[in-house]
Amino acid sequence: MAELHVIGQIVGASGFPQNSLFCKWGVHTGGAWRLLSGLKEGQTQVDVPQTGDMAFWSHPIDLHYATKGIQGWPKVHLQVWHQDSFGRCQLFGYGYCHVPSSPGHHRVRCVTWRPLGSWQEQLAQTFVGGGAQLRSPELVYSGADRYRLHTEAMGTVELELGVIMRHFDKYGVES
Amino acid sequence: MATSDPSVFLLTVNGQIEGADFPEYDNLYCKYCFVYGHDWAQISGLEEGITQITCKGSQSSHKLIWNFPLETTFKSTNPSGWPQLVVSVYGPDVFGNDVVRGYGATHIPFTSGQHTKTVPMFVPEPTWRLQKFTSWLLGRRPEYTDPKVVAQGEGREVTRVRSQGFVSVSFHILTKDMKKLGYDTGPSSPVNNGSDASAWSTEEQTYRM
Repeated sequence: MAELHVIGQIVGASGFPQNSLFCKWGVHTGGAWRLLSGLKEGQTQVDVPQTGDMAFWSHPIDLHYATKGIQGWPKVHLQVWHQDSFGRCQLFGYGYCHVPSSPGHHRVRCVTWRPLGSWQEQLAQTFVGGGAQLRSPELVYSGADRYRLHTEAMGTVELELGVIMRHFDKYGVES
Repeated sequence: MATSDPSVFLLTVNGQIEGADFPEYDNLYCKYCFVYGHDWAQISGLEEGITQITCKGSQSSHKLIWNFPLETTFKSTNPSGWPQLVVSVYGPDVFGNDVVRGYGATHIPFTSGQHTKTVPMFVPEPTWRLQKFTSWLLGRRPEYTDPKVVAQGEGREVTRVRSQGFVSVSFHILTKDMKKLGYDTGPSSPVNNGSDASAWSTEEQTYRM
């Protein structure tokens, strides 16, 4: 069996309308992959940056997978939320990115989007916040029913992902 | 020295904590320690240390320099739990008490060669305004009882922090026997990293958008 280590961190996010942000993240893989150690989902702390636009989380990711096939390569999916000074949370974006498939250190920028409601809902959103959310979060990393959505662009999440591969060359996989 | 079938690999880290960038604070010192998983052991070098107290120079209003050496070697059977460097920065407040100015953590790189990392530093924030005022007055800011929690991902969802600076660390990495054990860590770090003697010029700009 080939093994894959993903060692890195979710560095932070920028380009969002407000910058008191946190992120719920998870890693999704296909059926041939088995997680040997590490947490495959979590939630970062809420960061309120003192200077600048970027919120920093430095959330560590350390995953060890064993796999029998290269289909279903791991994908990191993210939800960026905003927490205001009263403690209310509002969704600011969904995004996903693949774990890089070549060994070494990579800096990945994950773009995010947010669902748009009707014009009445958008008007309400500018005054009281809130907004539409996806009923099934799998839509973030699958393309199946996306055509039904109307979304708007939001900021970017920056990740540093280091990939170590083991025994992939024995199975003929070139990377 | 060469064994035909190694069961452990070694990671050697030669580096330094170069300095910090805190726009609002001065006279800072830094404590560091290493956090790693169960399969790892540190076979040489100090497990933790404290730098000198430094203040900003007259040339730049942001830069503080420690130039503090880090030399250590780890051994392990498994890349899981790869070591992280946990850094905490302390300094005096208005009344002279020592308070924490930032915690941060970064993974030690695993490709051989030179790397510079800019680690964002954050402090836990009290949520109540009254608590913020009393902690400022008494010089007792919220702190982590054990700075090593910064290297973990669990339990973070309930904390609220404020990021207020960066610490710059540079590493020169050597590994031994990782290839023999079947691990492919990718190419050595590229040449253009090597021409930067210090971290300030490139890393800072990537994060300041």
